[in-house]
Amino acid sequence: MLVPEFVPQIFASWYMPAIYTGFIIAFVGLIGIAVPKRDIHVLILTDIIGLAMLVIVGAVGTDLAEALILPGLVVELAEILAISEILISREMRKKDKIPSLFPTPLTLDMEIMTTAPNFLAIVLIGYGVFLTGFTGGAVAGSGILVYIFSRKVRGLPILIIDGIGAVSGISWCLWIIGFFLFFVTPQFWLLSLFLAACGLLLKVASKMGLIGVLMREEYNKK
Amino acid sequence: MDITTLGGSLLGTIPLGDIVLYLTPFHLFMFGSILIFTVIIAISRTETQVEAIFGGMKEKKVSVDLSEFKARRFLAIVCGVATAGAMITGDLFNFILFVALIGIVNIGIVSAVKQISVLDAAFHYGLIAMMSSLPLFGGGAMILASTGTLSLFAISQIPHTSLMLLFATIMFGIGVAGETGIAPFFATKAEMFRTPGSPFILIIHLSSLFIIIRTIEIILLIVA
Repeated sequence: MLVPEFVPQIFASWYMPAIYTGFIIAFVGLIGIAVPKRDIHVLILTDIIGLAMLVIVGAVGTDLAEALILPGLVVELAEILAISEILISREMRKKDKIPSLFPTPLTLDMEIMTTAPNFLAIVLIGYGVFLTGFTGGAVAGSGILVYIFSRKVRGLPILIIDGIGAVSGISWCLWIIGFFLFFVTPQFWLLSLFLAACGLLLKVASKMGLIGVLMREEYNKK
Repeated sequence: MDITTLGGSLLGTIPLGDIVLYLTPFHLFMFGSILIFTVIIAISRTETQVEAIFGGMKEKKVSVDLSEFKARRFLAIVCGVATAGAMITGDLFNFILFVALIGIVNIGIVSAVKQISVLDAAFHYGLIAMMSSLPLFGGGAMILASTGTLSLFAISQIPHTSLMLLFATIMFGIGVAGETGIAPFFATKAEMFRTPGSPFILIIHLSSLFIIIRTIEIILLIVA
C-alpha cells in the first residue's frame, strides 16, 4: 500500500471520484470545442480543459503533486497568453493595423479610484507586509498598483522610480541567502526564514509594481 | 524494462534525495548531439526568400528583419537547450516540464512569422498544445499516484505494472505527442519551409524527434 498509515481512509478513497470529475469536465469542454463556433470561444473553452488538468493533478494530494500543480498552472497561463496574443495579432493583421499590448483603450472610470485610494493602498501594503512571503508580496504589489492607477485616473503626476527592478534583484539575493543559511546553519532557522520571507515579499511586490510602471509607459505612448 | 537493456551500461547515478539522476551512453549521446545541432542552428544565418512575379522577369525578395530574427533565434536556442535537458534528466517530473517548455517555445517560433496563414496554424497548434497538457500533466500525476515516485530509476525497479499505471503511461504518451509531436505537422501545414528564416524551423523537427525517442524509452522503462 502506497498511502501511509496516518492518512485517513476517506482521503484515499476520494482519489478515484476526483479523477472521474476531472475527466468529465475535460470531456464537456471537448464537446463544446467540437461544436463549430468563433475562435475566441474555442480559446475560452480550451481553458476549461486546463482547469480539468489541475483537478486531476490535485487529486493526488501530496507535496510532489503540488510541485506538479504550480508549473502546470504557469504553463496554462503562458499558453493562453501566447495564444490570445497570436489571435489579437492575426485579427489586427487582417485589418491592417499594428498590434499593440492593449488593443482597446483601457478606461478606469470607477468611483473607488477617486474616493479613498490612498487608504486602500496603505491597508493593502500593510497587510502584505504583515503576511510576508509570496502571498504578502502579491497583496502589497496590488496595493502599489491601486495607488498608481488612482494617481493616473486623477491626473496627478506619478513618482518615477527607475531602480525598482534593482530592488527585485537584490531582494532575490536575500531569498537565496536565506535558503543557503537554512542548509548551512540550521540553528539560525528563524533568521533565515525571515530573510527568505522578506526577500520574497520585496521581490513579488516590486514585480507587481513593475507591471504598473509598464502600463504607465503604455499610456504615455498614446 | 531494465535501464541497461535500453540505454547501455549504467555509467553512474547522482542521488539527490528523492531525485536520482542516472547516466547512460544513450542519454549522453542524445544530449551531446542536440547541443551540437543547437549550436549549428544558433550560428546559422537566415536565407532570403525569392518569389517570382507572374507576367514579368522581376522577382521579389522577402527577408527577415533584425528584431524578428533575434526573437526567433532566441526561441530556437531555448528550445534546443530544453530538449538537451529533457534528454539528460532522470526524473519524470523534469521531463514533463521540459516538454511543456518546448511546447510553449514552439508556439513562439511558429507565431513569429507575421503572415495570416502561419498565424492561423500557430493558433490551432496552440489550442492542441493546451488541450494536451491535460494528458501530459495528468498522466504524470497518475504515474505518481500509482507508483509513489517520479524518479525513473525507482520506477524502473518496480517489477509489476498495474492497469492504472498502464493507463497513465498511455495518457503520458498522448500528452507528449500532442505537446511536441504534432509541431512539425503544423509547421509544414503553414508551409513554413518556404517562409524566410527557415533554419529555425529545423529545431522544431529535431526537438520533436528527440523527445519522441526519449518518450518511447520512458514508456518502455515504466511498462515493459
